[in-house]
Amino acid sequence: MQNILKVRYWLILSLMPALLIYTVIVIVPIFWSSYYGFFSWTGTTDPKFIGLENYIEVIKDPIFWRALKNNLIIVAASVFGQVPVALFLALMLRKISLFQRFVRSAVFLPMVISTVVVGLIWGYIYNPQFGIVNSFLEWIGLESWTKSWLSDPSVNMYAVSVPIIWNYIGPYLIIFIAAMQNIPSEIEEAAKIDGANGLKKLIYVTLPMMWTTIKVAIVLCISGSLKAFDQVFVMTGGGPAQSTELLATYMYNNTFVVYRYGFGSAISTMIIIISLILIVVSQVVMKKRNKKGGKE
Amino acid sequence: MKKCIVFIILFIMMILAACGNDDSTNANQNNNGEENTDSSTVTIWHNFAGDDLRAKTVRDLIEKFDEENEDIQVEAEAIPVDGYRQRISTVAAAQELPDVFFTYAGSFTERFYEGDLIQPITSLINENTEWADSFLPTALEAYQYGENEDIFSAPVGMSSTSYLFYNKSLFDKYQLEVPKTWDDFLDVINTLNEQEVTPLALGNKAPWVAQSTTFGAIADRVTGTEWFMDAVAQEDASFTDPVFIEALEYFKQLVDAGAYPEGANSMDNTQAEQYFLQENAAMMINGSWTISSFGSTVSEDQLNNIGVTVIPSIPEGEGKANTITGGPGGGFVLNSNAEGEVKDAALDLIYALSNDEAQKAIAESDSMVMYDVEIDQDKVSTLYYEAFELVRSVEFAPVYDLHLSSGAGEAINNGLQEIMLDGDVEAVANKLQQAQENAQNEE
Amino acid sequence: MQQDIRVENKSTYQSPFFTKRGIGSVLRIIFLLVFSFLMIYPLYWLMISGFKSNEEFFASPYALPQEWTFQNFIEAWQIADLGTAMINSTIVTVGGTLLTVFIGALTAYVLSRFDFRLKGLVMVFFVIGMLIPVHSTLVPLFTMMNKVDMLNTYWALILPYTAFELPIAIFLITAYMSSIPKEIEEASVIDGAGYWGIFFRMMLPMSIPAMATVAILAFLRYWNEYVFALVFINDSSLKTLPLSLSIFSDGYSTNYSLTMAAMAIAVIPTIIMYVFFQEQIMKGMVAGSVKG
Repeated sequence: MQNILKVRYWLILSLMPALLIYTVIVIVPIFWSSYYGFFSWTGTTDPKFIGLENYIEVIKDPIFWRALKNNLIIVAASVFGQVPVALFLALMLRKISLFQRFVRSAVFLPMVISTVVVGLIWGYIYNPQFGIVNSFLEWIGLESWTKSWLSDPSVNMYAVSVPIIWNYIGPYLIIFIAAMQNIPSEIEEAAKIDGANGLKKLIYVTLPMMWTTIKVAIVLCISGSLKAFDQVFVMTGGGPAQSTELLATYMYNNTFVVYRYGFGSAISTMIIIISLILIVVSQVVMKKRNKKGGKE
Repeated sequence: MKKCIVFIILFIMMILAACGNDDSTNANQNNNGEENTDSSTVTIWHNFAGDDLRAKTVRDLIEKFDEENEDIQVEAEAIPVDGYRQRISTVAAAQELPDVFFTYAGSFTERFYEGDLIQPITSLINENTEWADSFLPTALEAYQYGENEDIFSAPVGMSSTSYLFYNKSLFDKYQLEVPKTWDDFLDVINTLNEQEVTPLALGNKAPWVAQSTTFGAIADRVTGTEWFMDAVAQEDASFTDPVFIEALEYFKQLVDAGAYPEGANSMDNTQAEQYFLQENAAMMINGSWTISSFGSTVSEDQLNNIGVTVIPSIPEGEGKANTITGGPGGGFVLNSNAEGEVKDAALDLIYALSNDEAQKAIAESDSMVMYDVEIDQDKVSTLYYEAFELVRSVEFAPVYDLHLSSGAGEAINNGLQEIMLDGDVEAVANKLQQAQENAQNEE
Repeated sequence: MQQDIRVENKSTYQSPFFTKRGIGSVLRIIFLLVFSFLMIYPLYWLMISGFKSNEEFFASPYALPQEWTFQNFIEAWQIADLGTAMINSTIVTVGGTLLTVFIGALTAYVLSRFDFRLKGLVMVFFVIGMLIPVHSTLVPLFTMMNKVDMLNTYWALILPYTAFELPIAIFLITAYMSSIPKEIEEASVIDGAGYWGIFFRMMLPMSIPAMATVAILAFLRYWNEYVFALVFINDSSLKTLPLSLSIFSDGYSTNYSLTMAAMAIAVIPTIIMYVFFQEQIMKGMVAGSVKG
């Protein structure tokens, strides 16, 4: 067709800005940094090539595996916390009445606060001496349940997950509402005429129509929580005794506290590899469900 | 349509260009020595960004220097303390440090020396012998590196880290004596616990606190200073030695006796200080920074109610009793790229920030210095004066993380938190030993 | 619009207390209220804490301030030079957000409407970007920017912000555009509008909800970003807000009341922005439902 050249020209022209900025600023530094991973480097002295030693040390370090496990807790908490809660709320909040708008804004509000402030505030909520959680438990007579939430290793990983969920329900809610609003109303009407309502309509009409969006949300959720850093860094710094160490804090501490740039770079390369694996796995799982669901 | 696109793109470009424009001038003032050789512009980075007395004092000193020296232009930049290490480390890795920058004693500075990023200030020392002699013992040695024993910085502060603060009225109320020995100390802790008062406030969220304020002093009393220095050098001593295990056991005794409040590992230093001030805790072991922060936030009455002394002695130990862990604090260093006029100007600036006058000004802003100064008692808080006098009557013991490698410092910090969580003492010793050994081997 | 109101009337017009569905509605409202409270409380706490002195902050952290004074806010504003920081943050954030939304939408249009051989690869390529911990790119980025003399300019923040936010922007807008029926623009192809024409006249207006979502997320992230701002900007006249918020800590102790006041000030523009964009999202939704 005579259009092919035109299409090609258009494709190149329109993809160029994104690809250019993104490649130079995001992709190049990653490879640069994985390259540092082959060196023993304190950041001030001359780097010394040591081959795969850093990478092997990362894999052998039990703290790395603990950090990974902790990160997976956050991933699970986000995927099974943020997404369903946001979806549930989105179903309840489709109207534009004042009240619903108020609730929607409220749910989004945590997003406007910077993550540092979120960490700070929740640090207070969990404070063992005057924190709200413990005061509340005492008030309803459950004194035995009070804990030092952030320093007791048996609960602190779950405790730090809550603020992260809390922080990010808002954007998913908005994404879902937008997607729902985008479902052509003929389909809904048709479903209604067919006698589908309530749960049935939800399962057979609404959810399948939103499936693309839900998938995107899950990918965002996984990638976001694998990078989780700020809130935990402010609340616990990865402590005590590295019990809330996440991959990102583990990398940060090794790079900027212990000054092992090479080792830190090796960790971040590992983070990227692990994240990719997780995303691929989640995609495969979702594809399967997609087929079962029979949509498209 | 095309016009529309062009317009939009142009519009965006214009906005962005407008943003970019006014910094093109600033870009030229880039903070590295090479670009500034044509004039004597000196760039200096420091972390005195805050509103506390000391930060204001140092900023004033820099400003004064700038005003008094018309031929020298000072480009100062204050970076928040929280981000300072990260900022400096990143910039150092890219070899773009400013002419003069503030550094912390210990492994932080050592890295710059090893990477040849800083140069000695020996000429200053030689030209001003009286000044150099007025530093307290070990002050300049902390910044001495290499075969020629060159000196790279003159500290502008002291980190004395292990004062025992106690609440006088609480001690009166429960008829307690200020503990002199370890056994007294444990008795006091038990009594306070029976009265449901927390014995010791501690904010160990940043995990260096327990190490720097409490453990270092205990360990020095148990092992003696010499053993520690040997262990640091990994010569004839190892952190797995029984004597070090014993030191850890002493710390564990405090934990087991319930000296610390629940959740001490998730409180920050300020929260712990407030916990102590509000009489929830009767004692607190902390460094000289506490004196500065009390000095600026607490009423005179409350200050008079706080006593300060040294950590109790451990008679069975090898070390001395009457010591405080401490040593030189941070100082300013000179970029190895600085030469000619810039270097001269930079040296002048470093001198102006650490000379007699500067040390006195800093000391009078309620913070300790490693320099022999007379201070005006009226200009400082009572608690500070008491501590100032105390420091002069005791000897210094080494602060652990000033001497350990950065990896080993992390190991002991995390290890102490582990002990507070009921961790195994020997495992902690092993990790510490391993980290220090690795660091020594790498050198 | 009309349609929406109609739907709404059906479910909530009747007084909920006297109908069968009443109890359900009441429970739902209570649930939503409690939930909203949990979401709002921390922000409320931040605001009231800004009015307290340090001592009061520690002595009664949850009570209302004994007296309402603006002293902390004034002090924080002056000490941290929040005025300058606010201007810088605005320039960087608005510039970055515009760039992100525009490039993101353009790319999303291509990815959602064209089939080409490398499409899958391009998508994967962008996914990788969402996985990168920013701290690991600091040293390479700093070195690069230093080489091209970009440090100490607004660009040193705008470009990295945009680059790191692009994947999310592209994903959200692509997902949204994919769900817009293709027939709509086929009509305009016949009308003879070029790709730019379709993009600007059809796709952009129809994707406003997605773009507004991206804009909100980008705006908030840029406004609160700390690490890049710390490392890539030296000049104090170019400092952004998050840096100014951390100066009340001297490494040992933190002046909480000033910190809280400064944070409360910093959060206000983001709330305004949110309200503004929420309007856009709503409008887009209304447009969406009319269209159907």
